[in-house]
Amino acid sequence: MGTERTNQIDAAASAWLIRRDSGSWSAADQACLDAWLNASTLNRVAFLRLELAWEDAARLKALGAGVRGDRPPPPGHWNLSPFFFDPHASGSSHEDPQSGLTEPANAHLAFEESPLELSSPDLSPISENTSTPLETGSSEVENPRLGRRRLRFVAVATLLLVIGVGAYLKFAPNGELYATPIGGLASVPMADGSQVILNTDSQIRIALTDTERDVELGHGEAFFEVSKDAARPFVVRAGNKRVIAVGTKFSVRREGNGIEVVVTEGKVRVEDRAAAHGSRVDGSADVFLTPGSIARADEAGVLVQRKTLPEAEEQLSWRTGVLMFRDQSLGEAAAEFNRYNVRKIVIRDPTIAALKIEGNFRATNVEAFVRLLESGFSVRAETQADQIVLAAK
Amino acid sequence: MEEPLDSWFKREILTHEGILMRFLARVWSRRDDLPDIRQEAYARVYEAAQKARPQAPKAFLFTTARHLMADRIRRERIVSIQAGGENEYLNVLVDEISPEQRVSANQELVRLARAFDRLSPNCREVIWLRRVKDLSQKEVAHRMGLAEKTIEKHLRQGARLLAHYMRTHVPPNRLHAPEVDARDDDEIEHGHRTHQPD
Repeated sequence: MGTERTNQIDAAASAWLIRRDSGSWSAADQACLDAWLNASTLNRVAFLRLELAWEDAARLKALGAGVRGDRPPPPGHWNLSPFFFDPHASGSSHEDPQSGLTEPANAHLAFEESPLELSSPDLSPISENTSTPLETGSSEVENPRLGRRRLRFVAVATLLLVIGVGAYLKFAPNGELYATPIGGLASVPMADGSQVILNTDSQIRIALTDTERDVELGHGEAFFEVSKDAARPFVVRAGNKRVIAVGTKFSVRREGNGIEVVVTEGKVRVEDRAAAHGSRVDGSADVFLTPGSIARADEAGVLVQRKTLPEAEEQLSWRTGVLMFRDQSLGEAAAEFNRYNVRKIVIRDPTIAALKIEGNFRATNVEAFVRLLESGFSVRAETQADQIVLAAK
Repeated sequence: MEEPLDSWFKREILTHEGILMRFLARVWSRRDDLPDIRQEAYARVYEAAQKARPQAPKAFLFTTARHLMADRIRRERIVSIQAGGENEYLNVLVDEISPEQRVSANQELVRLARAFDRLSPNCREVIWLRRVKDLSQKEVAHRMGLAEKTIEKHLRQGARLLAHYMRTHVPPNRLHAPEVDARDDDEIEHGHRTHQPD
């Protein structure tokens, strides 16, 4: 009977969805899910339908802004902003404790800002929102925490030396600045137990306060392994985008005002500052990413690709200094190599730019890559001081 | 690069579920068939979109649903019970069914809050802790003093009920009628479909 079948598929889809979200999800599990999804389009659409509802449910966070404690407010007691329009609301009853029994949309008209919402257009929330002298510059000397920071500085500096690929850091008035040169790769331990891996030609500024762990990605790419601390959200800012996590693993790459986010564990939220400050106050520009998600956000919006975890990990192979290409064009591969090398690959003939490249390469060994190209393809390389010109043979 | 099919499908097709269900309910007298028809229409649209994405997704969805119902009528030789006959209704234009405009993001949130409020108290709290407070299943189980299996059950039910409630229009005065929650929760738990009187 059809209806029974629909119901069974729905039940199975919900079981898959919740299991995938449960935290213990392996590549083998994903393969099983993929098999189930591919078995029937009815399976797939049932899953997508529940997944959409599940993604929507995360938007309850926008409603949870200003809700105290861990428990949900009673039905109807929502803190909706004055911009909310509910066609079914018959009037605006303020602060009515009985509203839960009548009409939920007649919720309180107070709009409370919370850490979940972007509250200040100021780019330095630390100096504004906290009174800790840590970040205020002149009083830094008296701060006992500074001693700890210096210790950390030593520890970090030592570690960078050990890695030996070069990175520098310096103190800035509102946080510590770390940077890598072209071809650099550095691991930066944070005081809260989190770990940052900086890719080539990248710069971050780290500022820890009691209420927030704030990292500004100036340029480049970084991978974050965030230690769990529900009381202090971990925020990565890149231009007008914010990527927010509690305890998770993800990377952020910045190019101008565009970012690419790859998530391999836990969950992160991407906020668009520009959109959040526009007419839409509901945070509708927010996107939630789960493991295996790869998101690209720029002025046009956010595009999310859901990949398998191994695929997402592959994207992060730079953490071990390796570039992995799977069916990429030579043009794309060259652009990727150029991020890591001062000597840039220039492709003279458009015809060879479309050649398909596959394999694993050391990011800083562009010469080896070019040699391989010459032996395997009809490509001729001309090495100059600051560039390698590729042409068709 | 083209947008992945799944996210396109969610945005362009699945978001029309509310109006699609109202359309189906007007055309089709047997309520029990509606989820079947809906899912079948989704599957057909998805398969078609794998080959080429329709330019007018919403219209394509409704056309597909119409064809499906016409097929069923032929196949099952259903004699219309409704005045006017089902075949006549099948030719109704989509945009005449509902002048509903694209709902604003704020209205979506209101809708979400309403759907959430219809869940049973336990289910509500589980979803809240998991989705809003980002606690793990284990932590939620510990916090609520329930077995992890029970938490999972609530999560599964919650996902299904939210999907259902989010896209189903309910008059405000029914929102807190407890029997609605009790019945739906119960039925899903026992693997029965939601029954609605004809």
